[in-house]
Amino acid sequence: MKHGRLRFLFGALVPALVLHVVFVLSPYAQAFYLSLTDWTGVAGEAHYVGAGNYARLGGDSLFLDAVRNNAVMLVVVPIVTLGLGLFLASMLHLGGRDGRSGIAGSKVYQIVYFFPQLLSLVIVAVLWSFIYNPNTGLLNGVLRGIGLGSLARSWLGDPDLALPAVMAVLVWSSAGFYMVLFSAAIDGIPKELFEAALLDGAGRWDTFRRVTLPLVRDTVQVGFVYLGITALDGFAVVQVMTAGPGGPDGATEVIGLSLYRNAFTYGKFGYASAMGVALFFATLTLAVLALRAGRKERVELA
Amino acid sequence: MNPSPSTSTYPKRRTILKTALGAAAAVPLLSACVTSGKDDDKPAANAGAKSADNPLGVKDDAPLEVVIFKGGYGDDYAKHAEDLYRGKHAKATIDHKGIQKVGEALQPRFVANTPPDVVDNTGAGRLDISALVGAKQLSDLAELLDAPSFDDPNTKFRDTLLPGVVDDGTFDKSVLVLNFTYTAWGLWYSKPLFASKGWAYPKTWDEMLALCATIKTSGIAPWTYQGKYPEYMNDPMLSMAAKIGGTDLIKAVDNLEPNAWKADGLKSAAEAFAELAAKGYIMSGSEALSHTEAQAAWCQGKAAFIPSGSWLEAEQKDVAPKGFDMVMGAVPARSSGDKMAQSAVQAASSESFLVPAKAKNQAGGLEYLRILFSKQSARAFAQSAGTLPAVAGATDGLTLSSGLGSTRDAVTAAGKETFTYRFRTWYAPLAKAVDDATGELINKRATPAEWADRVQKAADALAKDSSVKKYTR
Amino acid sequence: MKRVVPHVAMLCWGVVTALPLLWAVLSSFKTDQQILTDPWSLPTTPHVENWSRAWNQADIGRYFLNSLVVVGGGLILTMLLGALVAYALARYDFRGNRIIYYTFVAAMFFPVFLALVPLFFVVQQLGLLGTYPGLILVYAAYAVPFTVFFLHSFFRTLPGEVAEAAFMDGCSHAGVFFRVMLPMARPGLVAVGIFNFLGLWNQYLLPLVLNPDPDRYVLAQGLASLSVSQGYRSDWSGLFAGLTIAMLPVLIAYVAFQRHIRAGMTAGAVK
Repeated sequence: MKHGRLRFLFGALVPALVLHVVFVLSPYAQAFYLSLTDWTGVAGEAHYVGAGNYARLGGDSLFLDAVRNNAVMLVVVPIVTLGLGLFLASMLHLGGRDGRSGIAGSKVYQIVYFFPQLLSLVIVAVLWSFIYNPNTGLLNGVLRGIGLGSLARSWLGDPDLALPAVMAVLVWSSAGFYMVLFSAAIDGIPKELFEAALLDGAGRWDTFRRVTLPLVRDTVQVGFVYLGITALDGFAVVQVMTAGPGGPDGATEVIGLSLYRNAFTYGKFGYASAMGVALFFATLTLAVLALRAGRKERVELA
Repeated sequence: MNPSPSTSTYPKRRTILKTALGAAAAVPLLSACVTSGKDDDKPAANAGAKSADNPLGVKDDAPLEVVIFKGGYGDDYAKHAEDLYRGKHAKATIDHKGIQKVGEALQPRFVANTPPDVVDNTGAGRLDISALVGAKQLSDLAELLDAPSFDDPNTKFRDTLLPGVVDDGTFDKSVLVLNFTYTAWGLWYSKPLFASKGWAYPKTWDEMLALCATIKTSGIAPWTYQGKYPEYMNDPMLSMAAKIGGTDLIKAVDNLEPNAWKADGLKSAAEAFAELAAKGYIMSGSEALSHTEAQAAWCQGKAAFIPSGSWLEAEQKDVAPKGFDMVMGAVPARSSGDKMAQSAVQAASSESFLVPAKAKNQAGGLEYLRILFSKQSARAFAQSAGTLPAVAGATDGLTLSSGLGSTRDAVTAAGKETFTYRFRTWYAPLAKAVDDATGELINKRATPAEWADRVQKAADALAKDSSVKKYTR
Repeated sequence: MKRVVPHVAMLCWGVVTALPLLWAVLSSFKTDQQILTDPWSLPTTPHVENWSRAWNQADIGRYFLNSLVVVGGGLILTMLLGALVAYALARYDFRGNRIIYYTFVAAMFFPVFLALVPLFFVVQQLGLLGTYPGLILVYAAYAVPFTVFFLHSFFRTLPGEVAEAAFMDGCSHAGVFFRVMLPMARPGLVAVGIFNFLGLWNQYLLPLVLNPDPDRYVLAQGLASLSVSQGYRSDWSGLFAGLTIAMLPVLIAYVAFQRHIRAGMTAGAVK
């Protein structure tokens, strides 16, 4: 029996571990080494350049644009997405006649809202690049159609609007998912809690604040981390949709795009790896901050 | 960023985040060197005996892999040359690939030392040629150039090419690339439209501004451009600068000389185009249009002029309405003090064919180019693609479409005054900096002085960067 | 009066979500001319030929099959390896158990971009660049962590008595896993399988770098390159038809399986 147990454990774990080490862990480790070289990727040897690549990052204005844009996305995308998701989920559940059952048509809404999440970000980006077309696109078409033609803009051509336009696409594609997630969390809240709140004479907003919000707080925090990672990426949408891509004039440049261009267009693999390491530490920082925030709340609650 | 990032459910937040930190610190820095797997094996012995009939020594049954950029010209012309190749080497099997993003597809294969035998390195996503040159990944084409041409054993291959083609493919004194098409850049318009409105193509910039005023009152936007890729607007602007400042200006720019971008010629050209934008002569929304969207709008008569290279007619073949009859004009002169005539055009051979140094069938790759550049193949290309091939006399006696005819006329009129900038192929990051700056200039977010400043800064930074290989002309 | 607000809000977001998708589907039945000049109108006569053009000439059909092969293979491998690891870690006590678990789960939080360049060379040196097996292995490697994480807690909650009874009956360890535990974990397997399918089906970055051969493009790559190449031919209707073809199977699969997905999400959320 003992022997069989060991053999089973070995067979169950080793193939996956090999795959994990070869394709996941070793590339991450190698990236750190590569970032210290001047390797051009086509051939030839890699020379050790120490921190040279990192020093260069600070003077790369396009990369700094990318950092700034990712930082903005990191703040805006999770807040708007989660806010919207939470709002829609509570509307779905609490907008009903007696303040706690679902709104009419909630089943249909839950299906339709989820659709964008099902589409590859590439498909979403191709679709939205047509929607944003200033002359023949859907968005300006709708605005003109309802008499708001003065609001029609060159969405992706205006440096002030391009990044918000990109972020809107990210929000569009994931808000529905978080709505469903929050909705599942709200489903898990005992009905009695809502009834008690109603008996106390609490309004909808009070109920939301006092009952719903505290009980979905964990979901919100996890959502923040996931959306933060999404916001630190943004590559597919920017690459497919924006002018340049990454434009106009760096207005939508993201770290992933800079990395990709330097590696696979300019052949500066060492430099690109340094960007990757920087991105890694950004993600790490995000994780640490989320952890800290979580711990603090625990303390406050205790 | 696992494959299902946002669809993941509920992790136990705290333990996981802690682990992420722990594992990151614990992963040993493997010293595995990613460059260790390079093997320097020579191309396989796919060579046959050389003879008068087989000057490059092609092994008859060696397979040949051809990768073609399938853009505006399609890839039928390349298949036609493959048929000719098969006619000569009946036992050869040919693997043909027509693709769009050449760099993405081939970069890995160059790294893996398993490149194809011939590559048409063209299009927006092409391979960085200087990186390939620097890594000695390209075959020297000298043997091909000195071989007899396909059509006439008494003429060397080299002598069948248009002037400039060999120069365009020379890197550090070796010819590594052969460009198959001859492209000229200018401003495009519909000849019948202009005739019906009584508009005459402007020869000077003042005339251009006056005509734009007239065009605007007729309800058509005077200009549009391929806004997502501002490089399209660079071409007429830098052409104008070249005409003002002459060859010296071009060389100063390409050689990264100090303050080259602040020369009067460039400043004056930037001012001219800034004025075009300031007067509202560029179709609104252009800045957010892709090349296809802008060109489609132009073909629908929403704008009168569009800047482009001579591939435009072929690219718009299915979109341009019947009787649109587009023609290309040389960029107007800035003033009478210009160093080059108004007829001067920016022209270069392009559609870069190369034979990788590590190609398995190197002789076959060279032979394919010998056949591709033959008169029969070049004529077929001119007819199907509507573009001038880089082969001398290839279009003689052919009836050309309006766009192609106007391109040939423009090149003829320019005579010896054809010019081209090289910085775009030599220094891709500088090209990106110029594109971004021009986008800002054309959209009135940068003044001509600011434009020159920021481009100069990028050029200076590049000149100082010791990690970039430098070229001079 | 107050009750109107939620309805309006729900309806608005519904329109914002559905309209772009509906627009794409409608545009796929229109001519290029209608799309460019009259983006609003309904198609006068449905131009079904756009679909056959996208499927055949634009190679959408081939991309579709490539996606099926790669995602199918990746999914099977992911589920098999992920379930084995999750089960072994959840039901067996041994030294190093926690470390292995955390090694897997931590990888969920690393940015793939960091691994991208070396990963490319790892795959290339194994001779797997641009091959189905290469892509399948990498897909599985990057999907296993989430699968392990999700199923780990699932296997923990399963009652142990059945397994013990099976051992008494002389079942081997593998037998218990495949014949007893796996069937019991079906709801969890279905849920994580669906998540993995969506994740893999929509993967773009990995194939973009690891799968350079256009003959083997997956759907997301194919569509991105199509938006360039159809651009060269200005075949907008074909592009919209391609988009629709790429969207529909996933949407239909979702509507069919949405109860399972919601159940899976609830199962996850309750943990």
